[in-house]
Amino acid sequence: MAGAGMAIAALTMLSAPQAAAQVDTSDWQCQYCPFPVGYEAEVEVGASSVSDDALRFGNVSGYDESGFYANLGGEGHYSKDGYQLNWFAEDLGLSSRVFGVDGGHQGKFGFYLGYDELPYRRFGTTSTVFTATSGDTLVLPSNWVPASLTTGFTALNGSLQPQNIESDRQSFRAGGSFQASSDFSVFIDYRRQNRDGIDIVSGANFIQASLLPRVLDFQTDLVDTGIAYSNGSLNLSLGWFGSFFKNNAKSLTWDNPFTPFTGAEQGRLAQEPDNEFQQVSLSGSYLADSIKSVIAFSVAMGQGEQNDQLLPYTINSTIVAGNLPRPSLDGKVDTTNYALTLTSRPFPKARVKLGYRYDQRDNKTAQALWSGVVVDGFQSVDSELNTPYSFERGRLSASGDYRLFDKVRLSAGYERTDLDRDFQEVASQTEDRSWGRVRWQPLGWLDVTAKGGTSRREIDSYDTDIATGFGQNPLLRKYYLAFRYREFGELMIAVSPSEKPFSIGLSAQIADDNYTKSELGLTDSKTTHVSADLNYALSEQASVYLLGGHEQIDAMQSGSTTFSTPDWQAAHEDRFDHYGVGLQLTELRENFDLTLDYMRSDGTTAINMLENGSNSQFPDLESELQSLRLNLNYRRSERLGFEFSARYESFTTRDWALDGVEPDTITTILTLGADSYDYDIWVFGASVRYLIGER
Amino acid sequence: MDRKTSRRINIAICLTLLASPCALSQSGDEEAAYSRSGADTCIGCHDNAATMSVFKTPHGVPTDPQSPFGSGQLQCEACHGPGGTHAGRVRRGQERQPVIRFGADSEAEVGVQNGMCLGCHSENVGAAWHGSSHDNDEVACASCHQVHIAHDPVLRTASQPEVCFDCHQQQRSETMKPYAHPFDEGKMSCTGCHSPHGQTSDRLFVRQTLNDTCFECHAEKRGPYLWEHAPVAEDCSNCHNPHGSNNPGMVSLRGPMLCQSCHSQPDHQSFANGPDGLANGSASKYLLGRNCLNCHTQVHGSNHPSGSKLMR
Repeated sequence: MAGAGMAIAALTMLSAPQAAAQVDTSDWQCQYCPFPVGYEAEVEVGASSVSDDALRFGNVSGYDESGFYANLGGEGHYSKDGYQLNWFAEDLGLSSRVFGVDGGHQGKFGFYLGYDELPYRRFGTTSTVFTATSGDTLVLPSNWVPASLTTGFTALNGSLQPQNIESDRQSFRAGGSFQASSDFSVFIDYRRQNRDGIDIVSGANFIQASLLPRVLDFQTDLVDTGIAYSNGSLNLSLGWFGSFFKNNAKSLTWDNPFTPFTGAEQGRLAQEPDNEFQQVSLSGSYLADSIKSVIAFSVAMGQGEQNDQLLPYTINSTIVAGNLPRPSLDGKVDTTNYALTLTSRPFPKARVKLGYRYDQRDNKTAQALWSGVVVDGFQSVDSELNTPYSFERGRLSASGDYRLFDKVRLSAGYERTDLDRDFQEVASQTEDRSWGRVRWQPLGWLDVTAKGGTSRREIDSYDTDIATGFGQNPLLRKYYLAFRYREFGELMIAVSPSEKPFSIGLSAQIADDNYTKSELGLTDSKTTHVSADLNYALSEQASVYLLGGHEQIDAMQSGSTTFSTPDWQAAHEDRFDHYGVGLQLTELRENFDLTLDYMRSDGTTAINMLENGSNSQFPDLESELQSLRLNLNYRRSERLGFEFSARYESFTTRDWALDGVEPDTITTILTLGADSYDYDIWVFGASVRYLIGER
Repeated sequence: MDRKTSRRINIAICLTLLASPCALSQSGDEEAAYSRSGADTCIGCHDNAATMSVFKTPHGVPTDPQSPFGSGQLQCEACHGPGGTHAGRVRRGQERQPVIRFGADSEAEVGVQNGMCLGCHSENVGAAWHGSSHDNDEVACASCHQVHIAHDPVLRTASQPEVCFDCHQQQRSETMKPYAHPFDEGKMSCTGCHSPHGQTSDRLFVRQTLNDTCFECHAEKRGPYLWEHAPVAEDCSNCHNPHGSNNPGMVSLRGPMLCQSCHSQPDHQSFANGPDGLANGSASKYLLGRNCLNCHTQVHGSNHPSGSKLMR
């Protein structure tokens, strides 16, 4: 077969555009080519039945509660004289509906419109004593009796009302492109995202707090537009990106259910402020034939702004707070990003790549002293200076590979990343990362890749003056700032004999992080992952697959209750296993297609506390998800078909942060009483599919 | 097309040929045998539904002069190479000369396959394909794309992740964790965050940085806030694993221990929170419910003048 391969390689002397210019195709009539003309569409109409109520099952799926749901969807295509119009719709009867239209004249212009919804369903077992009188105010019932502890809330049980924690995201998208000439095209993409619903925030009142159902009312507009140039060797793209976020709920005021400080009958927090970000970018590549190289680059300059009116220091009218340094933040962040890569093939069996990338976030927000009021209860003793964090990061990289004996490919690479930041304990750090890889393809059906390397993050110094200025234990090393030595490795094996009906994939990764210079904080973290999949074609109409995997994350951290040397440790062990099996039958008795998928995943997190020589083990945090999906399609005729589906899903979690925690269980926190997830759901569906148009 | 441009395209193609010397392009003046009637010749044998579906794809649009079936183009042979010899008579016992086939079981090397695609798609693929991680790993275009069916699965949100997970098994595992982005329900695609054709950004992000990519959907966290939380401003993945986690919120460690990895002030920040603080014990507010977030709710930043402790 090697001879055939060489023969094929010889045929690639010319790219299609080159060859087309040289070949006489005047007699190529394409009279047997079935170019679609006219209108064709397939519509789906049916219904699904959901067996039980389980809000969490509705997360993303849209099946919020038991009952019947309409199955409505389809897709269509129209073409004439080069003009095309396509549409598609999915799940129109659900709160996860998707709809889209695109069209145009290929090679000249194109456009698209799209709309989709995404439901977030967190808790359906929660309840609250608060009532929203507007988007930014929560009030207690009129008969509420404050107390210093939740156990003293005499009106609690009579006041609790069910309150689901759920929200929805609606996204609208429109855009298009226009091929101005063979070299130039322009494009625009506009998206609007709305998110509304109920989320959880916490309202603190010094040592007490309440979990609050806050109203979400977000709106984001995103615009990408630009012009692209391409002449075969030179590609350039000049673009502008804008992001405009608007929050229609600027603050949240709530009645304090606890016995208040003087005047602190209410608390108020600020919600996410409006912000906007604009960025201009230029990117491109050049094929430098004289040096058998490609040079690619990108430059982007951006600016973010946030200037919402600030709230007063406190809602507590009994506190005489000072004036704000300024009425709004006038926050500004400049971003600069640029990158340059050179990829070259100095000789046929070798390739080298050199690159440099720079990212900067320059927070230009002015500093000021803020004389805050602590949780609307009392004036803070000290004024505080805001810390507008900035950083700049530069990464130099070099890699190369060399093909040895046609069957073996050796690769190696090195990266150096320098990061400078301000207002933090580590002002400057350097990470050196090096790796090597061997890819071995002894046979056409076997592909083995092994990769390994190390990275070492060094810091110039850990400024304990800054740390202690924030009240930190000077022995603590924040893990994202600390010295770290990492070893990593990867093994991937792909077996895919071309004349055998199966393929196998194996994958294993390991990453071992050691924070050897950290006495307090994260000291070790190790991730191990293995997975495998098998696909087997039983016949031309039947195939099965098996997949499975295991992942384990072990982490160790140290702390000091006595604010001195380490006196406790927490050992975390995250395990995750998943299995799947599936069957696909196509054109069974010519008219039937069937798919069957079963998945199971189990997650377990064990935390062991070691304090003063004694161990104490938390109950395992557990999750178990099982999913079974069956789809049967029956083609009654060329135009008419039926689809039957059955879906089973069970999801069970055990979470000690939630289990047994009623609204008044924590004496100083009024919670929403959320429970762990536990549901078993069946969904049965039946639909008719009908093809209309000029088939 | 002038000779200079032709040479440049040849360079683009040969850069994808890891094992095939660039010298191949030097023989570009040899005349290859194309079929007599183009697609009509091919369809004489290859008229099965799977093959003919190409006419429902962008490659099969005759009114686009850039399409393989556009006027003056090479139709099937635009991608599969000259098929004149392949379509010719074969003597008994003689092996039919192959054309270029695409995919894992192709006789053609990946570089040869991709070279055919890049001959037309250098603009679509973008500026950064050459030397990108997928290019370096010799991923064939046809390993991800299916060009003979009406709707290429990798171009559809619902079906794309499974294509990527064929190789990225660890990411498949992570997305099946109990707290993950909605890949499993087909509501999110890998290309929502990553650009598989190469990017000059880290990890092929669609925006310049990881945070910029997250802000595409989570713009409310962009700020800048009056009181910023330092690790948030720098890198969302300092706390979150965006592919999935055993922990709610996709955080990498359970609270309050995650927070205690960085906060050690001489009070509740330093407490050893053991299982005696669970609901059947002392019901610790530092451990249950939202743990640290029971009070410090604004972990992504606060814009309240009194919010320095992220409680407002």
